This record gives sequence, structure tokens and C-alpha cells, in this order.
Amino acid sequence: MVPTTFYVLLSAVLFTIGVLGVLIRRNAIVVFMSVELMLNAANLALVAYARERLAVDGQVLVFFVITVAAAEVAVGLALLVAIFKSKRTADIDEVSMLRG
Amino acid sequence: MLNWLIWLIPLLPLLGFLLNVFVIRQERQAGLVASALVGGSFLLAVVATVMLGGMPEEERRVQAIAWEWIGTGTMSIPFGLLFDPLTSVMVLLVTGVGGLIHVYSLGYMHGDPRVVRYFAYLNLFVTMMLMLVMANNMLLLFLGWEGVGLCSFLLIGFWFERKVAAAAAVKAFVVNRIGDAAFLLAMLAIFSHFGTLTFYDVEVNGQIIPGFLEQVPNLLGQTFGPEWQTIAVATGISFLLLIGATGKSAQFPLFVWLPDAMAGPTPVSALIHAATMVTAGVYMMARTEPIFVASPATQSWVAWIGVLTALIAGTAALAQWDIKRVLAYSTVSQLGFMVAACGMGAYAAAIFHLLTHGIFKALLFLGSGSVIHGTHDTQDMRKMGGLRTAMPTTYWTYLVGAGALAGIVPLAGFWSKDEILAHAVSAGYWPQLIGLFIASLLTAFYMGRQVSLIFFGTQRDPHYHAHESGRAMTVPLVILAVGAAIAGLMNLPTLFSGMPAAHLLTDWLKPVLHEEAGKFNPLLALFATIGAVGMGYLGWSVYTRNAAKVKVGGQDPAYYYTGDIWDTLEAAWYVDTLYQRAVVGPFRTIGNFLAQVFDPQGIDGLVVGTGRFFGWVATGVRQLQSGYVRMYALVFTIGVVLVLSFMLMIAW
Repeated sequence: MVPTTFYVLLSAVLFTIGVLGVLIRRNAIVVFMSVELMLNAANLALVAYARERLAVDGQVLVFFVITVAAAEVAVGLALLVAIFKSKRTADIDEVSMLRG
Repeated sequence: MLNWLIWLIPLLPLLGFLLNVFVIRQERQAGLVASALVGGSFLLAVVATVMLGGMPEEERRVQAIAWEWIGTGTMSIPFGLLFDPLTSVMVLLVTGVGGLIHVYSLGYMHGDPRVVRYFAYLNLFVTMMLMLVMANNMLLLFLGWEGVGLCSFLLIGFWFERKVAAAAAVKAFVVNRIGDAAFLLAMLAIFSHFGTLTFYDVEVNGQIIPGFLEQVPNLLGQTFGPEWQTIAVATGISFLLLIGATGKSAQFPLFVWLPDAMAGPTPVSALIHAATMVTAGVYMMARTEPIFVASPATQSWVAWIGVLTALIAGTAALAQWDIKRVLAYSTVSQLGFMVAACGMGAYAAAIFHLLTHGIFKALLFLGSGSVIHGTHDTQDMRKMGGLRTAMPTTYWTYLVGAGALAGIVPLAGFWSKDEILAHAVSAGYWPQLIGLFIASLLTAFYMGRQVSLIFFGTQRDPHYHAHESGRAMTVPLVILAVGAAIAGLMNLPTLFSGMPAAHLLTDWLKPVLHEEAGKFNPLLALFATIGAVGMGYLGWSVYTRNAAKVKVGGQDPAYYYTGDIWDTLEAAWYVDTLYQRAVVGPFRTIGNFLAQVFDPQGIDGLVVGTGRFFGWVATGVRQLQSGYVRMYALVFTIGVVLVLSFMLMIAW
């Protein structure tokens, strides 16, 4: 059986990739995908620990995360479409009108 | 009966005030209503006085309580009137002379656009003055005291379009504030010491409120303050009351407002600034006489302030050109006589002089008003001269008033002044006596000068046609002249043994002041008469012989010999200048500094500086808000990392 440590390590790697993707990439769709990656890294960690502890609450929480992620995607993609319509680009650095 | 009758005395003028404020819009109605109501008050006062006289001597004190005015815990101050012999003579003076002046005002103020307001103020004044003299406690007296001060302010500044009048009104008000502050402190001291402010024991709602004047004998030896700076209670209270009196009664060093107050209409000068309000200080001192008598230290201050005032104002009156300013300084000087009399313990003589002075000085002021009226608002005596043919009634009545003031036998002023001087002799106040005697010689001289300048010689300014005033003005003059001639009868000394009706006033006041009549001093009376007649004649003859040398806008004939002294006297010993330099000047400097330096740079600097500071901080902080979402995410991440590492460190 694969030890829990491996799952957690994978989760950490995926999460880090997600964070870096959000911080470094300028394409809004990629940033978005990175956010999804982070969510799923978290899901993985939750499931792994849930199995370790032989409890179901972590698994239940994953369903919540998936649900919230779905809702977030719906809103986020709509925002993206709106931004693209007005700016003709998906580069998030172009969307900086609210600077001080 | 007397209990409710005395309430009507102040209520009638109050009714007049309310009618004039809310109902009456017409000049003639206003004057008639105002005069009639004050006249009614006078009649009631006569009735009340007669009823008081019908009582046994030791019972002559009526206190009428309307309600408990202020009652908190141990403090109980009734809203009540007091009617005793001292009050009765004051009320008679206020309503009697006041009524005549109301009638006179009908003529004098005719055609003034604000005459209804004038009569409203005048009625309010009479109300307040009556509250002052009829109050049965210090607080109600203070209410009247401030009320008459307010009316004085309003009436001095009645012609407020004139800058001089407005400024004089403010000056009178501000200078009086000094005295009033001391009066207030005196009241607090009385309350803190006696726990009551009523003068005499009085029953309210079945409880006896003690009167502080009846507790004064317990005062001896009691002191205020911490041990190292104790002040005898009687001295502390009476000295504060004295300061209060110097403000209202225009004594040195606070007399400077009274000459300026002449900017008001002349009947106002007669009523408020000669006959009644300025005597309030003397009345108050007579009322609280037990406290003064308990403090020999204050008594000697009182006497000296009186003498000094009489001398300063008497000399200043020598060198005035304005007809009303002469009388104003003369009033200050005569008030000095009264205060000096109080200081020497002759309270009855002070009240006697107060009454006669109220009559003849009102006469003189109304006479001068008649002159001003008849010469079309001329007040400078250099522009007058020879008016005795054009204004015979005014001339003759003025002569009676001047004679009474100068102390010519047998006019009123002679008797009252002689009573004060005789007391000084019998009680051994020699230095004060000399001061007062000189002051009375000065009085005779400046009145001789004034009569000569106004009525003798020839008219020096041809620009007006002098005419006698109307009946509304001359009738009060004649009545007052008769009064000034015979008022001495109310308190004649015992000229020969077994003389009937001698010292009536002193006897009448005995239940309040407990004073025996002084003895007549024939030698002193002789000197005083010779002095008065001689100086009066001298003043008259000097200015009549040199009448040709008096020119419009020119110098006095005596100026050639006196020069600087004349200037000093004209400026009343530069007391005003002293205040200007020592108080008003520095005050202005501080005010200017605050307005031009402290406010724009200090206050505004602080406010504007606060705004600038946050603006400056904001320019820096604004840079953080770049608008790049990735930047925010980075900051967020760093934050999360920091928080997590912190928590991990703690968990370890």
C-alpha cells in the first residue's frame, strides 16, 4: 500500500505548482487552471488524511470543495469572458485600472 | 393688606413694560401709559408708607413671600418682597422722581422714531429698580441689580447709530461687570458662611428661613481661609460688597463709565445715572450695614474711597465743557459723599443725601435736558450763554437745583451735606472732613461756573434760536424745583431745643439703621454756608466777567494760569487713560496676537498640518495599490506563509 506521506508530498508539489502558476503566469485562463490545481491538491491531501485516520469527514469535505470549485468556475469564467470582451485580451496585468 | 399691596408697586411698571412691548405702537399712548403706571406705583407707595407708619415702630417690617424661588436641600431662597422704612423711602424716590421723568420724557423724546421702545425700557428699569430696593434677599436684590444694569446698557446705547453711544453702553456694562463679580463672590461668601441669603428671618411654608443680617453679631472673631492667610469674615464679605458698590455707584476707581454714560438721552441720565440706579450701591451698603459696621477695616476703606471719589470727581467737574459731563462728575462726587458717610457710620445721613441728591440732581439733569432741547442739541457750554432770557423757567429751576447742590441755605442739599459733615466732626473723622469740605467748596465753584456759562453773558453760537421747552418738560422741572427747595424739611437737625418735626428721616429709619440723630453744629454750618456762597459767587463772577474770553472751541479763561493742571482735570486725572494703557491696550495686543499670529499659524497650522500629514502618508501608501492582481496574490501568499510558519513554530 502506498504510504500516506507520498500522497501528501504529491499534494504539496501540486499545490506549489499551482501557487507558482498563479503568481507567475499572466494568462488569465492559466491562472485559473492553477487555482483549480491548488484546490485539487488540497482535495488530495484531505482524502489521504481521511484514509489514514479511517474517518469519512475529510472525504465529505472534498465534496464540498468540488461543489464550491464548480460554482467558482462558473463565476470566474463569466468574469473572464467579460474581461475579454472589453479588453480583447486575457492578460491579467492589463486589468489594473484600480491602482492607487 | 400691605402684603399684597406692595406686590402691586413693582407689578404696575412691569405691566407698562409688557404693554409697551406687545400692544402699544403709538408714541403718545406709550408715554401716557408708562407715566400713568409709574404714577400709580407712586400713589401705592405713598399708601404703603402711610400704612407702615401706622404700625408700632418695632413691627415696621413687612415681608411678602410669593413662592419658594430656589429650594434645594439646605438652601431655600424665597421670591419675596420686603417693605420697611429704608425700602419705603427708596421706593418713594424711585417712583416719584421716576414718574416725573416719564412725564418729562413725553416732551423730550417727542418725535423720536423709537419712542415706544424707549418707554418700554424706562418701565422695565423702574420695575427692576423696585425689585432691587424691595428684595428681601440678596439674590433677588442681585436680580434687580443686574436688571437695572441691563436697562442702563440699553438706554445709554438707545441712539446706537451714534458710535459714541454704543461704545459708552458697552463700557458701562463691562466696567460694572467688575463690581458685579465681587458682589457675586460676596453672596457666595454670605451663603457659605450663614447658609442663607435672606436679610431677615422670614417664615416660608411654615418654616423659618433665618436672615443673615440678624446673625452678624456672631461673626466677631470668625475667620475665612487657611490659617496662614485668614481674613475676618465680616471684613471679607463687606470688602467684596464695597467693590460691588464701587462699580454700580461709580466710585473710584470704577467711576469711568458714568461720564461716558451721558451719551444716552438726558432723561435717562437723570433717572438712571443720577437719581436711582447709581445710588443702588449706597442703598445696598445701608441695607447690609451690620456687616460693614462689624468691620472697622472695611469702614475706613469705604470712607476713604468716598472722600477720594468726591475730590477726584469734584476737581474733574471744574474743567468740563459738556453740560452733562459737569453734572456727571458732580454726581460721582456726590455719590462719594454718600459712600464716605456710610464709611463714617452715618448711614441715615447717607440715605438723606441720597434722597435730596436724587431730587435736585434729577432737576439739574432735566434742566440741562431742557437747555439741550431748547438749543437744538447743543451740549458744549462754550456755544451757550445768555439763555436766562430765552428760557426763564429752565433758568430759575436750574438755579434752585444748582443752589441745592452747592449747599446754599435753606435748600435741600445744604441740610443733607451738613448732616454728613457734622457727623464727621462729632465722630472725629478730621482728615475725611477736610476732604469732603474741599469737595463741597469745589461743588459750589463748578455750579457757579456752569450757571454763568449757560445762562449769563451773551449767546456765543448764533446758529440756533433758543426757545423755552414745552409744558411736559417745564412742569416736572417746577415740581422738582419745589422739591429741591423743601426736601431738607424731611430731616432738619434740632436747630433749637424743643423744635418740632426735627430729624424725621433718621427717626423713620431707626428700626433699620438703629441710628441716633446727629447734633447740629452751628459753627460748621456757618463755615459751610460761607464757603458755598463764596465759592459759588466766585465761580459765577469769574466766568461772567470773563464771558467775552470764552470762545466756541476755545480754551477756558483759567487755562492761561493752570495749563497742564487744567488738562489733567479735564481728563479726570487720566484714570481713563490709565485703564486704556494698563488694561485695554494689553488686551488689544493679546487679541491681535491671537487673531493674527496664533489663529492662522497655531490653530490653522495644526488643522491644516494634520491634513497634510495624512496626505503625505497616503502618497506613500498609495504605491502599494498597483492594481496588478498577481502582486496582491504574492502579498497574500507571503502573508499566509508567514502566518503558517509562525503557527508551526508555536506548535513545535
